[in-house]
Amino acid sequence: MEAELTLSRWSGKPGGVGYRRWVIMSAGIRELLGTRFFRAILILAWVAGIATAAVGFLFAQTVSEGGWLESAASHFGPRIHAIATAIDAFVLLYPDICIRALFTNLFWLHSMAGVGLSMVALTLMVPRLVTRDRAGRALTVYLSRPLTTADYLFGKLGTIAGVLALLWTGPLLFGWLLSVLFAPDSSFFLYSLIPLMRALAFNAIGLAALATIALGVSAVSRSSRTTIILWLGLWLVAGTIAKPPGTPDWMKRASFSHDLAQVREAVFKVDEALEQVGTELPFLDRSVASDFVQVGRKAEAKDLAGSIAGLGVFVALSSAVFFRRLRSE
Amino acid sequence: MNETIAEPPLTAPQGRPADGCVIETAGLCKSFGGQKALDNVSVRVPRGTIGLLGPNGAGKTTFIKCLLSLELPSSGVARLLGRDIRAGSRASREKIGYSPEQDCHIPGMAGCEYVTYCGQLSGMPFRSARQRAHEILDLVGMGQERYRRVETYSTGMRQRVKLAQALVHDPELVFLDEPTNGLDPAGREHVLRLIGSLWRDFGISVVMSSHLLRDIERVCDRVIIIGRGRVLEHDSVAALKDKHRRIIEIAPAAGTDRYAAALAGEGLAVVQLPNGRLRVESGSDSIEWVLKLMQAGGLPPAEIISNPDALHELFLKAISDADGG
Repeated sequence: MEAELTLSRWSGKPGGVGYRRWVIMSAGIRELLGTRFFRAILILAWVAGIATAAVGFLFAQTVSEGGWLESAASHFGPRIHAIATAIDAFVLLYPDICIRALFTNLFWLHSMAGVGLSMVALTLMVPRLVTRDRAGRALTVYLSRPLTTADYLFGKLGTIAGVLALLWTGPLLFGWLLSVLFAPDSSFFLYSLIPLMRALAFNAIGLAALATIALGVSAVSRSSRTTIILWLGLWLVAGTIAKPPGTPDWMKRASFSHDLAQVREAVFKVDEALEQVGTELPFLDRSVASDFVQVGRKAEAKDLAGSIAGLGVFVALSSAVFFRRLRSE
Repeated sequence: MNETIAEPPLTAPQGRPADGCVIETAGLCKSFGGQKALDNVSVRVPRGTIGLLGPNGAGKTTFIKCLLSLELPSSGVARLLGRDIRAGSRASREKIGYSPEQDCHIPGMAGCEYVTYCGQLSGMPFRSARQRAHEILDLVGMGQERYRRVETYSTGMRQRVKLAQALVHDPELVFLDEPTNGLDPAGREHVLRLIGSLWRDFGISVVMSSHLLRDIERVCDRVIIIGRGRVLEHDSVAALKDKHRRIIEIAPAAGTDRYAAALAGEGLAVVQLPNGRLRVESGSDSIEWVLKLMQAGGLPPAEIISNPDALHELFLKAISDADGG
């Protein structure tokens, strides 16, 4: 076997740190996009985004003057038409309360879908983040190049952020944008902004917490099976244990999905939005108003401080595991 | 502690700086608990092909890992290609390649995909990285296997792909830790020839760590002998051989007894080796006197080998001295 000693020289300027982090990030996302299962999750996520857009669009068309509700009601006689016109007028009289309540609940529901799908995607991702690199001793390959552990961390975090943006943030923004694009006036845009900001804030908190925990779990072992079991255990088993009403608080806090749910209630403030509907909208039947308040209270965050502490412990432990294991082997 | 001043390299390949040191260390120490893996290592290594020789556990890999910041030195300073390894930990590794002793790959990636990715990790744009990856894979002797996943490779193929990832970004200095491990004889020959050509043809300095003296002797122009975490010897192969007592081995085509008698007649202590060769200690590197002896005695033709195992003996002596033996 004779060595063919012909080789082109590379004299280009090497890309900077940002480029190298981008390479790690994009390689992770590209690989995930190559799996059929992830593509199926992606389709589901965008269906949820389209559903959000459809609900917002329908609501906007319903309450607009001369919209489909009014037109349809006119076929059922003057009385029904008058009721429909009254509903339109009612929403347009109190756009702040109605639009805010609608979008708060819509985004709250969407966040459930977003978190759920992200958890499923992370189950698929966990063994691909650090576990496999440790199994193949690939950390030596990364760290012997002009990369530091921080670059590796940011690259992997970028992969998770990219995946969560595809599954959660993207469909959320898409749903909101389509909702307000065809709205009859600017009040839809204006009054949906606060719920949107809250949704994005929860999105950011969820991303930070889930990404850190996923990286920590992924770094625990070199075995993909072990890390998947650990992830599912922390997500599903601990989540199930935390569900029953009589479960002690400390046990509930040991479930990061429970902690995230508590943070979600605190960030979205669904309780406040529904209470406002029940107490401030006139013409509502007393029992209906009371129902709104009751439902709102159910959505109240009951152990916010404890849940934040719980999430903090998860994040701290995961970071400790990640940095401890992140060395060439 | 050993302080060796660099000699200029033997050749100056095109497109690469021919002067300056590739490695400079001063008082480099590394301890694992109470165990000293590196003990006050101070060397200045010029460009070229450098062999890092030492028994298992001597500190060769730790030395390389410290230089690449894969291990944090306990004390001391080190510079790679003139850049302090601590001050600019990223910058010092920009023009460095490393092929570790242990198997390392990213599971799930095909060989060419893996080498391309490694090029990109070193800052190469995708197109250049892909082009170089294919060229390097050709160079290391990988054919269509490059499209298979790395985890399905044999040990030899993994060794080649490790070498390819170390070279893909066109480094100025490449560290090869036991690069011939697991290779079949043909593969070993190919890889050694390639390593030998890296400095000669491409101007890529090589630090090759091995416990196989023959490999080092064949491709390297300088040798650093490490034992118990210390640099025991550092010089060019020729200079190291000069330090050694002169040995000549003679393999006669016939008449071994006549040869033995003639050599004994010259007052030399002759040792007959199991392979039939005669071994004598000589006063000089020249084999002129043997030829004269053959002519004078009418002796049959013979193969004459000067300093056959010089490096081996020097290596053993250095290790023995380090052990206090």
